[in-house]
This record gives sequence, structure tokens and C-alpha cells, in this order.
Amino acid sequence: MKVELIVNGEARIVELPPMLRLLDALRGPLGLCGTKEGCGEGECGSCTVLLDGEPVNACLVAIGQCHGREIETVEGLARDGHLSPLQHCMSAHGGAQCGICTPGMLIAAEWLLRRNQAPETDDVRRAIAGNICRCTGYERIVASVLAAAKLMRGDAP
Amino acid sequence: MSVSDLPRYDFCHVESLAALCDMLSSRNGKGMVLLAGGTDFMVEVSQGAPRRGALPLVVDISRMPELGGIDWDGTRLRIGAAVSYLELARHAAVAEHAPLLAAMTYDIGGPTIQARGTLGGNFATASPAADGVAAIAAFDPIIEVQSVRGRRRIAMADLQTGYKTSTRADDEVIVAFELEPPPPGTPWVWRKVGTRMAQAISKVALAAVAQIDDGVVTRFGAAMASVAPVTALLPNVRKLMTGARVDEVDAAALDAAVEADVAPIDDVRSTREYRAHCAKALVRSFVISLRH
Repeated sequence: MKVELIVNGEARIVELPPMLRLLDALRGPLGLCGTKEGCGEGECGSCTVLLDGEPVNACLVAIGQCHGREIETVEGLARDGHLSPLQHCMSAHGGAQCGICTPGMLIAAEWLLRRNQAPETDDVRRAIAGNICRCTGYERIVASVLAAAKLMRGDAP
Repeated sequence: MSVSDLPRYDFCHVESLAALCDMLSSRNGKGMVLLAGGTDFMVEVSQGAPRRGALPLVVDISRMPELGGIDWDGTRLRIGAAVSYLELARHAAVAEHAPLLAAMTYDIGGPTIQARGTLGGNFATASPAADGVAAIAAFDPIIEVQSVRGRRRIAMADLQTGYKTSTRADDEVIVAFELEPPPPGTPWVWRKVGTRMAQAISKVALAAVAQIDDGVVTRFGAAMASVAPVTALLPNVRKLMTGARVDEVDAAALDAAVEADVAPIDDVRSTREYRAHCAKALVRSFVISLRH
């Protein structure tokens, strides 16, 4: 099946079996390996990407359902070779350790920050509730996202 | 999984509900999967377990306008079968008139599952563990289905016939859910017992609403997930509570009613004993909360 979609702002066309997972399309023919596979069952959130602006598990979306739609992955966060404020804070505050959950965490947090410029701790916890991290104990991830919100608002540190 | 391992499913989009009904009718409702959010079916596909016989035709219904939308007409709330839980959680009329449903969406899974999962999908899969089914069942909804024979309205109490079976015919499409919520401010509860805040299937979950006038319960709706082969509608509890004075409900009688209404089992998520205990505790705690 021929699928036309927009990936990180760029129009792409792929010819793939319609029931192939979006995750495999991204990591294979679309050449975007930033999105990681964790459980492959929608449990861990590693493969979280945005589909028309909403977070989805790329392992649970058929590429055939993506025709005419817009996908955003972790590769779309940086601009002109510079990390986004969220990526910068995730790195600076120790929110990323082994790195497997990080792309999904970043996308889940990006979705939150687009909708809520001044999130509380509970908002962050709720936004990343579907993303499992086995390293950080979450505290540093939550701190990273709160710091990014602050940075993006331009508040004094 | 590599592309070559993938079973060769046929796949199509359908433009209208009428065309979908025709397609189902021509196949007697067999050999087709209607794909909405895919939170269940995509897992089956990637586990490489094609069902017995030929692979089903997969029909993408996730963006069919006739299955979408949430409407409030002043009395009734109508929720399209393919509305995602995220849309449900965000809708102002749901927050105002059925806050129980909004609360449930946060427990059903993280944002990614909320963004894909649908009430229609959960009713079609008909798992007795489905949080969404239990939550809406507390409102005694009408399930609207359509086939080439026309549209039909099924009362919640008439829907379920056994484990994952129902009175809906194979060629009938779930179109929407309609419910008459009690007035805003009516006491309600959504309690889920699971191992994790998000993405955990319930060990037990209770949804209930209790309308009270002058200390007397005038409407009591309740349902429980994961305690029986079907979503448990708790008929004995409803009978005991409806018309009762909230401060005179007998605790032993309430426990006995819950016990008569559930048939929990041991499985991977929990035990029969723990589920039976939780079922009683959740109902009791809601009824106590009504006494102020």
C-alpha cells in the first residue's frame, strides 16, 4: 500500500504492507531510529511519537492508518543542530540515563508542554504515566520537564 | 519483526457507515476486523498469531465521521463509538455531566492509550476487564448498532450473554452510546485496583452513581470490571440500594449482595479471594461516603 505522510514536517511516501507497525516503518524505510522499541505491546511507552499532535505508541499503529497524517518523532525536536530546551534540560538534570525510554519520554513531555506552559508536578507525572523508566526513578525526569517549562517561559532560574 | 514475517492482511478504508454495513452483510459479518485504535488487535498482529483459517480483512474505521463526535442535548449524552478516551476526557459536557467517565479515562492507560483506545473497541472486544465498559455501564447506556437491516438500540442489561459474547449480531456495527446522566453534583465513584497507575489492566474496578433525594437513594447505577465473565452489573446491590435510606443500609446485607453479584476467578493479575475482598470493600466504602 502506498502511504503518503508527513514526518517531522517533511512529506514522505512509502510503499509498505498496511498492517506494518508505524514503529517498523519509522526505524526501517523512513530511516528514523531515534524511536525505540521496548515492549512492543503498548505497555512501556518507549516508542511514543505524535500522530496529528497526539501521543501514540508507534507499535500499536498500523502504517495503513497513517495515510495523510502527520508524525513527529524525537528527531524533530532539535532545531538547526541545537537541542530543544526540553532535550537540553533532560540532559542537564540527569533525566536521561541508559537512554531507551528517553525518546518516548521526550515526546510525552513535549506533548504536555505544548498544551501546558506551567505544569505542576502531578501534570508531568500524569503525562509520562505511560512511559516506563528503569534507571532514574522518575524524579530526575520530572525535574527535567519542570525545568524545561521554566526555561521555555523565560523565568529566572 | 521484519516485513517478510508479517502476515499479509488485506486492508481497506471505508468511506461511509452504509458502505461498511454492506461490506459486513456481504460477508455475513465474518472474516473482518474493524480497526479503530488498535490497542488490542495490533498486539495480536505483532505477536504473529493469525487466528484460525484465513487472515481477516482489516477495515480502518478510525476516522469515520459517523462513528465520531460527542453530543449533549440537555438530557442525554451521546458518545460516538470511535471517540478516543482522550477526546472523552477533554469534552466539557462529559466533565460536567459524567465526571466519572473523565476520571476513568486517566486510569485506563497513559495518554498514548487514551489517544487510541475507544469505547466502541472495548465493547466490541467485550473483555470483562474493560474499564471503559464498566464505567459507562453505571449509567445504564443504550448501545446503538447498525446493519443493513437498520439501526437498533440495545439496553446495557440486554447486551451481554457470556464471556465475550453478546446479543449484537456479527454484522452489526457499534455506532454510539447514549446515556442520561443524573444531575450534576450527584455522588459517583470510580475506583480501580491495579498494579500501576497507567497501563495496568484492572484486578477490580468499580463505577457507581447514587442520586439521593431527602436521604433516600432514588437512582443507583453500578458496574464492576474483572470480577465475572461479563462486566458485572451488580443487580442485587442495585436492588438493595434503590429506595434505601443511605444511613440505614445494612453492612452485612450489602456484603451479601456484592457476593451474590460477582464470580471472581484466580488469574495472572489477581486471585479470587482478593477480588472478592476488594469488590465488597469498594462498594462498602462508596456507600459509607454517601452518608456524609
